[in-house]
Amino acid sequence: MTSTLPPRVTLRPPASGVAERAPRPRREPERIAAVLTLGALVILAIGSLVDIDISLPRMLQSWSNAERFFERVGAVTFPETGELLTLTAQTLGLVLTGTLLAAVLSVPLAYLAASNTSPGRTWRVVARFLGVLARAVPDVVLAMVFVLMFSLGSLPGILAIGIHSVGMISKMFADAIEQIDEGPRLAIRASGASTLQQFTAGVLPQVLPSWVATVLHRNDINLRGSVILGYVGVAGLGLEMSYAFKSLEYGRGLGIAVVIFVLCVLMEIVSSTVRAVMLGSGNTATGPFDRLLRRFRRSAPALTPRRPLTPAATPESALHRPWTGGRVRNSIAGVLTAIAIVAGVVVSDIQWNDFLTFWSRVPEVAVRFWPPSFGSYEVATMLEAMRETIMIALAATLMTLVASTVIGSLAARNVAPNSTTRSGFRLLLVTVRGIPELILAIVLIVISGLGTQAGTIALAVGGIGLLGKLIADSLEEVDSGPERALTATGATRLQVYTGATVPQSAQAMLGHTFYLLDTNIRAATLLGIVGGGGIGYYLLNSSQGSNYATVTAIVLMILVTVLVIEGLAIWMRRVFR
Amino acid sequence: MPTTQSTPPETVVELAGLSKQFGSTTALDGVSLTVRRGEVVVLLGLSGSGKSTLLRHIDALDLPSAGSVKVLGEDVPALSGRRLRALRSRVGFIFQQFELVPSLSVLENVLTGALAELRGPRLGLWSYPKSKKLRALAHLDRVGLLDRAYQRADTLSGGQQQRVAIARALMQNPSILLADEPVASLDPESSDQVMALIREIAYEEGLTVLCSLHQVDLAIAWADRIVGLRHGAVVLDMPATGLSKAQVMEIYGRVATSTDEFEAVQTELMNEAAR
Repeated sequence: MTSTLPPRVTLRPPASGVAERAPRPRREPERIAAVLTLGALVILAIGSLVDIDISLPRMLQSWSNAERFFERVGAVTFPETGELLTLTAQTLGLVLTGTLLAAVLSVPLAYLAASNTSPGRTWRVVARFLGVLARAVPDVVLAMVFVLMFSLGSLPGILAIGIHSVGMISKMFADAIEQIDEGPRLAIRASGASTLQQFTAGVLPQVLPSWVATVLHRNDINLRGSVILGYVGVAGLGLEMSYAFKSLEYGRGLGIAVVIFVLCVLMEIVSSTVRAVMLGSGNTATGPFDRLLRRFRRSAPALTPRRPLTPAATPESALHRPWTGGRVRNSIAGVLTAIAIVAGVVVSDIQWNDFLTFWSRVPEVAVRFWPPSFGSYEVATMLEAMRETIMIALAATLMTLVASTVIGSLAARNVAPNSTTRSGFRLLLVTVRGIPELILAIVLIVISGLGTQAGTIALAVGGIGLLGKLIADSLEEVDSGPERALTATGATRLQVYTGATVPQSAQAMLGHTFYLLDTNIRAATLLGIVGGGGIGYYLLNSSQGSNYATVTAIVLMILVTVLVIEGLAIWMRRVFR
Repeated sequence: MPTTQSTPPETVVELAGLSKQFGSTTALDGVSLTVRRGEVVVLLGLSGSGKSTLLRHIDALDLPSAGSVKVLGEDVPALSGRRLRALRSRVGFIFQQFELVPSLSVLENVLTGALAELRGPRLGLWSYPKSKKLRALAHLDRVGLLDRAYQRADTLSGGQQQRVAIARALMQNPSILLADEPVASLDPESSDQVMALIREIAYEEGLTVLCSLHQVDLAIAWADRIVGLRHGAVVLDMPATGLSKAQVMEIYGRVATSTDEFEAVQTELMNEAAR
């Protein structure tokens, strides 16, 4: 090295006795317990990976299986155009209407659940619990119940999606309410506004962009999930696909899978465009770049005097808001949304009469579901199946976590070595997110003939799109100050990454991983329905064999598992604050 | 005593014709400045006068649009990779907002100052060698926060956090200490503590200090030399000894010919007089 720097003089060499006088590091027992629990989960996940036997020989075997499969099946075929359009409209209508129903139901629930708007602690606990409950019961199970109560058609599917989605949407809505700036609401309260007025004027404008983003995100998820509803009899593309596979028309089944895949990608593009436009036009953006921009604007001297936006406005002319580009865009977007919603309701062909008649069927149906029992299955068999489902979820989560940490970091602006790398990995994430994991699972299972391995890999791949993005976002959201400070000490990029970036986002990353585990437990259940092993297989069997008491028992097992994971996640968040 | 005080004063920072543009905004406009070893220089100026940008150029956190930056004999804009990091490790930087990692312990935050001497990424106290931990504890002791070593950084008050940031900078064994509005986020009492600490360390270790401030009385109290900046240009450069506040304000006010800024300076003067 040819540095011309003068020699380094060590400032204040370690004085004796400092180590003795320093306080002992505190080791809180709860923290130790949490670390041990995390370690145990990781070991369990590694064990699951080994147990499920995801290995190279297995992959090669599934590859040769797939080759044989394609020799046997021949070409992929699609339904006729008219039929295809009807099915697509049916599926889209069902998903849109279901998501909308969930969004409407979520508003009051979120209001009650958010700590800053809730009228009291009891309300809060009840609202949060209802949300967790809705999230814990898979929409397939709800659909099974509603299919019994309603005429066939879209209504059972809409209600299933609507009720299940309330879990996630109300939670995200409530979180958004809790993150608002309290100032405006306080000012509005101080002006004598009613509680409802405070909500509409002080809270709603602040949370709206985030709420719309949540609903769009959920809509994507619901479209992906809708295929499973077909397996329990809800009309649409999913039902056609399950028929095709059951009657061994593999070419047609794969054709429909391709259609759903394309739909999911299109929906993803639409919703991400809407999100981008919405965040671009609003001034509520709180990304790090916006903060930087605002800080810069504040510190830079105003070089040009401020001009009024419209010259010489009279009160009369100012009464009408000018049609600026932004307003035109917003209005067009609003009209398009309204059309989409109305169209969704129309094509869903809802039998409104059902709402009047289904009440009479409730007691009759309820009796068939209660009390829970395992019926003809042995308890050990069921526990083993549940264990397999949990293993699939753990193994998939671990694989996703490892891949997402690498991909997500390289997709983060403040970590990627250059903007080309960042754009490349962002694109990769968007592409992966476009892949609906359940469709991937169905296709992999059908063509490889291996249930559990194919299902786990499908879940792991599908998860990367979500977790990779969440990790990239939480890395980008860290305060850039400490990063700058470490750069200023002469630390390398990797040292800045582990010293300032990761510690600031570690809690968020942990939370996201638990969220994925939570999602994966339910997804792993659904995998069983399409032949991926685990408890889902028994769930489908008992429902098709009309053993509804067994369905209840299985749902209770899933519920307990999900609640345990949820509890663990809450505990971890609290301990690693 | 460090050997630096016995050697004749030498130039450690040399800026010549330094200009910086951010888009259409001119942040620095032909600044030339020479700082000798052991000097305590205060950069005085209003918000947006270019103080932070100037300091950031010395540590290569910004690169100049024109002009040269020489620090410790190195041509700073030409440095990259290992040599850039070597220079940065010799220049301590103290930020207005402290910029500690909130979720890490105080001790680990101080240890991050030694990253340039260590190889590879570090996460967690266990990943640092014991000798570094002892030194970090010694620096914490010096800033009077030894008893807070294992507390999370964000549980400390603003003044305490800034003292941790000073300990982190000392951990680098710097030759130069840059401080960008180190007390702007602090109350008057903590401000005095932090400024006294910086001054004391500078004298004891023979460090060269460049510190930006916007309060005239603080500048007079702590500086050897005061450099005034306005619109990115040097408008005042004189020794601080023997100067009275009125004198500085007068010179400062005379050069601040733009009426807006003149009024701002006057308002500030009157506010401080009223206190």
